Amino acid sequence: MAALLEVEDLHVRLPVAGGTLHAVRGIGFALQPGRTLCLVGESGCGKSLTALALMALLPRRAARDAARLSFAGTDLRSLPERRMAALRGDRMAMIFQDPMTSLNPTMRVGTQLVEALRRHRRVSAAAARDRAVALLERVGIAGAAARLGQYPHQFSGGQRQRLMLAMALMCEPQLLVADEPTTALDVTIQAQILRLLAEVQRELGLALLLITHDLGIVARMADEVAVMYAGEIVERGPAAAVFAAPQHPYTQGLLNCIPAPGRTLPGTPLAAIAGVVPSLVGDWRGCAFRARCSRARPACADDPVPTRTAAGRHSYRCVLSPAPAGREAAP
Amino acid sequence: MLRFALRRLLVALLVALAVSAASFLLVFLAGDPAVAMLGQGGRAEDAAALRTLYGFDRPLPIQYAAWLAKALVGDFGRSQFFNLPVAAILWERLPTTMTLGVCGLAFALALSLPLGILAALRPNSALDRIALLVAVTGQAIPSFWLGLMLIVLLGVVFPVLPISGADDWRGFVLPTVVLGYYATPGFMRLTRAGMIDVLEADFIRTARAKGLSAPDVVLRHALPNAIIPVVSLAAVQFGFMLSGSIVIESVFALNGVGRLAWESITRSDLPVVQAIVLVFAVIYVILTLAADLLNAWLDPRIRAA
Ligand SMILES: Nc1ncnc2c1ncn2[C@@H]1O[C@H](COP(=O)(O)OP(=O)(O)OP(=O)(O)O)[C@@H](O)[C@H]1O
Ligand code: SF4
Ligand SMILES: [Mg+2]
Repeated sequence: MAALLEVEDLHVRLPVAGGTLHAVRGIGFALQPGRTLCLVGESGCGKSLTALALMALLPRRAARDAARLSFAGTDLRSLPERRMAALRGDRMAMIFQDPMTSLNPTMRVGTQLVEALRRHRRVSAAAARDRAVALLERVGIAGAAARLGQYPHQFSGGQRQRLMLAMALMCEPQLLVADEPTTALDVTIQAQILRLLAEVQRELGLALLLITHDLGIVARMADEVAVMYAGEIVERGPAAAVFAAPQHPYTQGLLNCIPAPGRTLPGTPLAAIAGVVPSLVGDWRGCAFRARCSRARPACADDPVPTRTAAGRHSYRCVLSPAPAGREAAP
Repeated sequence: MLRFALRRLLVALLVALAVSAASFLLVFLAGDPAVAMLGQGGRAEDAAALRTLYGFDRPLPIQYAAWLAKALVGDFGRSQFFNLPVAAILWERLPTTMTLGVCGLAFALALSLPLGILAALRPNSALDRIALLVAVTGQAIPSFWLGLMLIVLLGVVFPVLPISGADDWRGFVLPTVVLGYYATPGFMRLTRAGMIDVLEADFIRTARAKGLSAPDVVLRHALPNAIIPVVSLAAVQFGFMLSGSIVIESVFALNGVGRLAWESITRSDLPVVQAIVLVFAVIYVILTLAADLLNAWLDPRIRAA
């Protein structure tokens, strides 16, 4: 099946005090219709900028370039803003990390719900309202019709994320980009929202690009996974393959960080990868992980870091040869 | 919303009451009103007679109550200079001043809102610089000087507009520009700063993620959130404009309340001064109330507070 979204060699650069921040450095991935790709990595590794780059919502100062950036066969790289705006909210939609600030506090939620539909489709106000009510009920907001006239501050955090989701689905998009949609919510609400996301994805056949720093979420949701570190994708492939045999020392370190029942003895301290992410201002050579990597060697400082194939579509960027071992393999 | 409005109305009434007491006492602050009425060289017997005639010898609270009861039905006493009811004089002069104030405010907003919004959309662009220049000159030039310059330029050198009086709308053009221009910088900077702030907000990114057009994002989503402090300032500025009308009406020889206030002060026509202070203060209270209600309408969170 043809990929819905294809990204190759995507770069995002931001001017900052003291030079250029090379926040996204040549990443690539593909997403099939109806599938879920999880983009996972530590805070600051460039996940949000990647998502915003796809949607052409980067800050004005940021520069984006790519060898390929195509959505449903349309090349997004040179698309004028008018045509990009016609795709956004219609065929590609996005929800954000903080539902408390992502809704307009001075506008009724009903107005905010219908405006994308009315912008992209010729529908009557009544029809748009009916669709909003139906979607609100679907995302689990009871008494939807009566709540259209309310304002965001009259909804809880979880409800606001449900609102955001309903809003994103108004035009039945093909792609939904969800940037850490549950990070700001408490744990029980997180689980509800994730279940809802999985359900609507199945019902609508959505392609879902789910951004998270939580491997537990990846394990639950992902068909494919791409592990990001310091602006690069260091490992990607089918979720099952990556979880069964992580190849990159960073992925292995991340997986060691989550306690697993049966494998982790109670009382074991939670593992964390020692060290800090390098500054991405200015040029960078070699593997960005080498300051924190226990298996680093002189070759790791050379460019380019080789991309190796573990099996099938499972690949990683590291000088080390593939190891068939499971999680316990490294360090 | 109704509870909020009622609460604000109550506060406004209390403020108006305090203000009325203050304007009542104003007469006594200036010294013995009977002596002031007589002017320099008045005889003591005459002053005593006046005191009895006007009731200045009664206890203050009683005088205040009597004065307030009359003021509430629009009776502000008689002007000693014109020998006419103060209310009649005010009614004749108030339309000129209010027209001037409303036009000045409208002119200021019409100039500063678009400039502020455009400047915020492209900070540090050429347009932003021009807007800044407009603001800085507006603040640096005293309005009486600008008024005189405009009179010379458009009234004398190129006589396209009348330089004094208000026989028709053309008489209001120059005073409106002068009065409004002075208020422009404050509005513009507040609009610009508010818009720059709001345009960075997450919900603006959401609006753009929906594919909304730029005018929709800027005018429907950003502006209502950015304009709230501007509304409050507008109420304050309108009050300043009313007091500023003292200068403007003199420069352009308009027969408004501002000029009346000035002349009445020099003539010690106390009932007129007192009535003007009260009327302006009450207008100010009403404006503040209106601004509060408008803001509550713009921002539902204010209503809940
Ligand atoms: N508007 C901006 N101006 C300057 N630097 C920015 C801006 N936005 C992001 N950055 C920087 O770019 C890098 C990547 O940011 P990004 O928001 O994509 O990270 P992230 O992976 O989404 O992190 P998080 O998990 O915290 O959301 C970070 O170092 C961040 O500080
Ligand atoms: S390239 Fe070297 S430093 Fe980087 S992850 Fe592999 S072994 Fe570690
Ligand atoms: Mg982020």
